[in-house]
Amino acid sequence: MRFNEKELISLSRQPSERAAELGMRGPKKGDVVKRRLVKLVVNFLFYFRTDEEEPQGALLLEQCRVEREDSLAFSITFLDEAERKYLFECDSQEQCQEWIDSIIKASYEFMRKNLIFYRTEIHRLTGKDPLEQYGIEDETRFQVTSGLQLMPKDI
Amino acid sequence: MKITGKILTHFQSCSSPVDKEGYLYKKGERNTSYQKRWFMLKANLLFYKDRPNHRDLLGVIVLEGCSVQLCESEEQFAFSLVWSGEPGLRTYKLAAEDQPSQESWIRALLSANHGYLATLVMDLEKQYKEAMKAFPGDPSQQSTLAGPNTERPTQSLIWLNSGTAALSQYLGPSVGAGHNFSTNEMLQVPPISSKPTNKRSPKLWPKRNANVVPINVPSPPQGEWSVTGSGPKVEFSELHEDFGKEVKELIADWLRRGQKDVIQEEDLIDFG
Repeated sequence: MRFNEKELISLSRQPSERAAELGMRGPKKGDVVKRRLVKLVVNFLFYFRTDEEEPQGALLLEQCRVEREDSLAFSITFLDEAERKYLFECDSQEQCQEWIDSIIKASYEFMRKNLIFYRTEIHRLTGKDPLEQYGIEDETRFQVTSGLQLMPKDI
Repeated sequence: MKITGKILTHFQSCSSPVDKEGYLYKKGERNTSYQKRWFMLKANLLFYKDRPNHRDLLGVIVLEGCSVQLCESEEQFAFSLVWSGEPGLRTYKLAAEDQPSQESWIRALLSANHGYLATLVMDLEKQYKEAMKAFPGDPSQQSTLAGPNTERPTQSLIWLNSGTAALSQYLGPSVGAGHNFSTNEMLQVPPISSKPTNKRSPKLWPKRNANVVPINVPSPPQGEWSVTGSGPKVEFSELHEDFGKEVKELIADWLRRGQKDVIQEEDLIDFG
């Protein structure tokens, strides 16, 4: 599948929400923990071999599960498959928690769900749909779906 | 750079809604003819394949850091996605089937970026808190929707607070008819900003406010969201109004130009 690689690499050079050197272990059997510069930019997690300009890889932070693994580590799992579970080791418990929260916050899906929550609540409290003033109330991506349950760990 | 196709494919086909889809013509890189493709916009990603019923995705375009522009083209209803932050970045040339489709796609692509949604959510969060203050209700009246913080109530709205939506932070790709208008120009109104704003070189990237509030701290009192000196607040309403106006004016102007067949230098947006 083609993608705009150069432009994505350029994105990896932009100011990030959070960046740090962490221990990182890939999803495949036999993968070991390696030090990587991990950088969160919008809903992408880039990882660089230390001192390399171009990222080694990029992870799209959508439809994934972020979990605390132990006091210093967290993991990101894609497609609910163990073979797609990335592990990250931090230097402190606080750092670990901060990364988890930042990654969850960064997800487009998470933002969209929050938007729908606020929209519904504002409408309930004030009787007005806050999106109407912007003329975007009919956009598909902002529609309220019934039975919306947001599990903080699942993005 | 490695990117897992399966993860992207899964995201495209999973149950969350496609924000917009339809046929567009895409100019090839080597083969310079326009090819008809089925496009699907989801979040800040624009996927494309041959036909809607075909399973395999041909490609994806990550919509961060680009501007949306009307462009000169032998094709009607053409527009382009332009990356220009550094040398060597490309431009995708696309064309819609008719004018309404062109306008609709331009609008959608302009607001697909992460920063737009982040700013909108921050705006609604503010309105929500104001509404909660104005209408303190019986907590049991709370909506049956699970809020964003089912498991960590004390952290409630702090998660979404990453500082003020400063002028330089909001980044929407701009629409220009041959000109690259930066939304910074559009928002350059308040003189309070200590930050110099680039006039013509569009700041394509949002300056992320790294001032993420620590999770275990009680939320600051109303209205005291920390400012890290990155510029004056932007009201999403202003942003949005300007957007809508800009798109309409550009398209109207483009149509006029097409009829007159004369290129005129003019300011499309009057900032007063």
